[in-house]
Amino acid sequence: MARNKYDIDETLQSEFNIKHLKRLGHYISPYRKDMVVTILLMMTSSALGMLVPLFFMKIIDDFIPNKSVAGIVVVCLLLLLINIINMIILRLKVNITAKLGQNIIHQIRTDIFTHLQKLPFSYYDDRPHGKIQVRVVNYVNSLSDLLSNGIVNTITELFSLFFIVGFMLSIDIRLTGICMIGLPVLMALIFFIKRKQRVAWQIQSNKSSNLNAYIAESINGIRVTQSFVRERENIQIFNNLSKSYSTSWMDAVRYNFMLWPAIDNISTLTTAAIYVLGVSWITGGVAGITTGVLIAFTSYIGRFWAPINTLASFYNSLLTAMSYLERIFETIDEDVTVKDKEGATEMPPIIGDVEFKDVTFSYEDGVPILNGVSFHVKPGETYAIVGPTGAGKSTIINLISRFYNLDSGELLIDGIDINSVTIKSLRKQMGVMLQDSFIFSGTIMDNIRYGNMEATNEEVIAAAKTVCAHDFIIGLEKGYETEVNERGSRLSAGQRQLISFARALLADPKILILDEATSSIDTETEILLQEGLAKLLAGRTSFIIAHRLSTIKNSSKIMYVDGGQIVELGNHDELMALKGKYYELYMSQYDFLRE
Amino acid sequence: MTPMKWFFSFLKKYRLRMIIAFIMVTVATAMFIINPYVSGIIVDRVIEKGEYELLWKLVIILIGTTVIRSIMKYCYLFLFETTSQRMLFTMRDHVYRRLLLQDFNFYNKNRTGELMSRQTGDMDAIRHFVAYVTYSVYENSLLFLFAMIMIFTVDYRLALCLIAIVPLTAFTTRKQLKAIKPAFHNIRKHFSSLNTAVQENISGNRVVKAFAKEDYEIEKFMKENDGYRNAELNATAQWRKYIPFFEFFANFSLFVLYLVGGIMAINETISVGQLITVSGYLWMINNPLRMAGWLANDFQRFVTSVERIYYTINKDPDVSDPEEPMKVDRIKGDIKFSHVYYNSEDDVILKNINFHVKPGQTVGIIGATGSGKSTLMNLLCRFYDVSSGEITVDGINVKDYELYSLRGNIGMAMQDVFLFSDTIEGNIAYGKPNCSFEEVERAAKLANADEFIRQMPEGYDTIVGERGVGLSGGQKQRISLARAILKDPAIIILDDTTSAVDMETESQIQEALHSIQNRHTVFYIAHRISSIKDADQILVIDEGTIREAGTHDELIAKKGYYYTVFHHQYGEFDSIKAQKGDISHGKE
Repeated sequence: MARNKYDIDETLQSEFNIKHLKRLGHYISPYRKDMVVTILLMMTSSALGMLVPLFFMKIIDDFIPNKSVAGIVVVCLLLLLINIINMIILRLKVNITAKLGQNIIHQIRTDIFTHLQKLPFSYYDDRPHGKIQVRVVNYVNSLSDLLSNGIVNTITELFSLFFIVGFMLSIDIRLTGICMIGLPVLMALIFFIKRKQRVAWQIQSNKSSNLNAYIAESINGIRVTQSFVRERENIQIFNNLSKSYSTSWMDAVRYNFMLWPAIDNISTLTTAAIYVLGVSWITGGVAGITTGVLIAFTSYIGRFWAPINTLASFYNSLLTAMSYLERIFETIDEDVTVKDKEGATEMPPIIGDVEFKDVTFSYEDGVPILNGVSFHVKPGETYAIVGPTGAGKSTIINLISRFYNLDSGELLIDGIDINSVTIKSLRKQMGVMLQDSFIFSGTIMDNIRYGNMEATNEEVIAAAKTVCAHDFIIGLEKGYETEVNERGSRLSAGQRQLISFARALLADPKILILDEATSSIDTETEILLQEGLAKLLAGRTSFIIAHRLSTIKNSSKIMYVDGGQIVELGNHDELMALKGKYYELYMSQYDFLRE
Repeated sequence: MTPMKWFFSFLKKYRLRMIIAFIMVTVATAMFIINPYVSGIIVDRVIEKGEYELLWKLVIILIGTTVIRSIMKYCYLFLFETTSQRMLFTMRDHVYRRLLLQDFNFYNKNRTGELMSRQTGDMDAIRHFVAYVTYSVYENSLLFLFAMIMIFTVDYRLALCLIAIVPLTAFTTRKQLKAIKPAFHNIRKHFSSLNTAVQENISGNRVVKAFAKEDYEIEKFMKENDGYRNAELNATAQWRKYIPFFEFFANFSLFVLYLVGGIMAINETISVGQLITVSGYLWMINNPLRMAGWLANDFQRFVTSVERIYYTINKDPDVSDPEEPMKVDRIKGDIKFSHVYYNSEDDVILKNINFHVKPGQTVGIIGATGSGKSTLMNLLCRFYDVSSGEITVDGINVKDYELYSLRGNIGMAMQDVFLFSDTIEGNIAYGKPNCSFEEVERAAKLANADEFIRQMPEGYDTIVGERGVGLSGGQKQRISLARAILKDPAIIILDDTTSAVDMETESQIQEALHSIQNRHTVFYIAHRISSIKDADQILVIDEGTIREAGTHDELIAKKGYYYTVFHHQYGEFDSIKAQKGDISHGKE
């Protein structure tokens, strides 16, 4: 699939279907009992509510003509009692439904987030991050009302609808029939607009996702925007996205708005029909229709349409929610390409023997990145990987951590195929320092400790000292407790690299991988760093990618990679003697000295 | 300005629409009362008393009012919704512009997820208010008012008794509003942190995976997820105390009517018929009372969001245009730092920086990590303002320039390359969106990026992931370099832009840069001597001061920091030179 950007709508893998509804059911089913209780409570409440007109009748027909003040007081006290019971019921209902709704969305959010943790890099690389985020936060939130009040009210109203229809039937079957004629008309209308309404909401969810993605990027890229004076254009783009968001919203709610007038008109028409036909049946002397019957019946018509109104608004919110739910489920269903094989075992403590056997790999079909790469690293050796950008250096390293699956070939660590062990047990024993030194918001202490949560403050500081980060850290106002944010903007790039270096060290890895780990660090610091590193690398297998050749000269082996293949392999002296690619590369740094 | 005034300043433009919409609500609500009345007549007079000749007329009124009312309702729903959408559009635009104006200090303090919440979740609370809460409050007040008027015409004493519930409701509403305010602020706070937690996790997914910290991340997320749920439930626990009272007041009106009305009827102060009439209006009193608590909730959510948005953006950035900004098309590139100091909070970052660069010169900057090299450039671009001292460009203080003018003349390739999830072409043309493809291509060639771009499946149309994931460090740097070159600025700043590029490529880039350099003043921050060796002047920055300055040869002669670095990087120079000589001979 092609990569997505902020102004491209995402395609939908699978439309909302009955299976999705079932899944939603799964989320709700643990709260079945709560739901039943709430529904029972609400039915009690509405049953009690039905007593009120009876009370009034009693007052009018009995107590007033008989001048019974005591009777009125008694009835009113009863009313007060009902009132208090209703109050308690409402309180209970609010309590249960709020918990219900929040717990369900809590669960859905947990599931989508947990699944996201399993998804490969490519998932994150293929779309703007704002679009992933909107699913976890905003889409899930928009379900809360539907899942709490929506369902409970709907079920309660369904019950009362049955009761009312029952009452109506007991009065007269023909009049009930007329009343129900409106329903198929309503259904037809709903069916007629459903397709358009669905599409409109799907578009809307896409537009909201696009807008979110652009906001996220605008904030993250603010430095570039300001330095390139792109504000005007960005405002234009933002407003376009914001406009299509607004327009799509209006398009979608338009359909939702149609439902109420429709119900209103249909109910009035059927009521009118009942009056007209009822009256003509009375005058025509149709059996069973009397003035009393007609009056009794008309008092139920209003009660018949009230629940239908509630059902309709539930339908509206369900339809709206579908366009969010299908996206949420799509993410939860996203294929985990790199996952534990069935029966995968724990990786035993790594000794550090790494072997590539004829490994081929491509990110996209037909564009091979690695082409039959084979090499064997013995425990404790340091391998440097050099070569032109885009040659596949980072790829080799990424494969060792099993960030991607091989197309073919084998990758063995201590003779064990890395596909046969659990990913977690494998990665836990590796320390990887990536090109992007990502800093989490929190203190510097926390950021270093990310490599090993159990580490004591002393251990964190020791790691920082090893990588020469200690001095600048204590130079900061609050030292290790200095708060940094996710853009790490209070730190220089070199400082961030040192911190993520310390982080990698703290993990006490058996295999250490440094991908451009020191590119932004000055030479002085780097030299100091290397003294610490030398001790550190001892006993660990390590892989280093670096462009400053002074960094890698002392490696056990240097691998020159080009075009997805190993072109040269040997130590510095051997490769220099070879006078091949590495030699050229090495000499090129002195080019400028050639007078 | 208060947050509310700020909010109304956006709504003001739509006054007319709102008034029309409110009039429609008034009419529709009035008609809403007609139907039960007509139905009553049909039952009383047509069915019961047999005045059948009235039926058709009444039925037509019934249908007619319904049709008109439903059309009207549709229209005003639409009006309120469009008003809210238009208003929000302007508001989002305003907030977005304000965010773009903010300086780096602002972004250092505010988390991405939090700023995003202001533009999404908080905006939605405002939408809900304008599109729904406004007319609901109005409609309910109207109903209540109509009912009260009708009841007064029947019997004022009964009406007064019923009206006695109003102060109680008002009092409870007030109490509720007060009680839920902190709870709702708390919800928004937790929403922001949830948003931040998710956002960071997604951005940092590579690190998470590299350290196999998925479980920890889930744990961290669960804290936020729980926190948000608890904040919501906490708020519920607050309003739950009040909502049932509104239900009680609503039903209490029945109690009042039955008790007082009943006794009055017994005493024959009012007739039974009057009592029945009043009871017919009771639903119009009931409903508004019942809704009061819910609407109070919605209102408070809205107020909370307005406040949060307002307080996020109302502070003016420290760095902004001067009163009378200097606009220039093209600056020459004469740059002078005089006694420049810069402190961030209490940390001293730069101390007494003095140097002068003439137009077209190249300045190499080298120094330890965190010594203040990038800050120097950030001050030149006015991303921060100097604490004291002065920076002039072409003899004019940078603070006197219009910001856009100044920055428009500077092309910066930053240390951390940020790429947008856009095509490569779009990324390179970022500073000049309307330029031709040839210009993009030329810039890419100068940055030595053309070749690898063409090798990609979709060439220049390849969409790169956010932050350029999927590209190697060197590729990203070269795209960022091309982006700076394309702008054709008077001043080019290359902040560690070639650190992840191999030497050969770097020297090719440098040659290419030389070919255009003459017209530009170039700042070249680097750690490799090879990158800066040919610069007209080299500044060695150490702990916020210029420790050494001069040309390569001068600095080598000085045998200071620069010399040490040179020695470290090219220690074997002598032995190599011998070999080098061999090759040169061999080639000849």
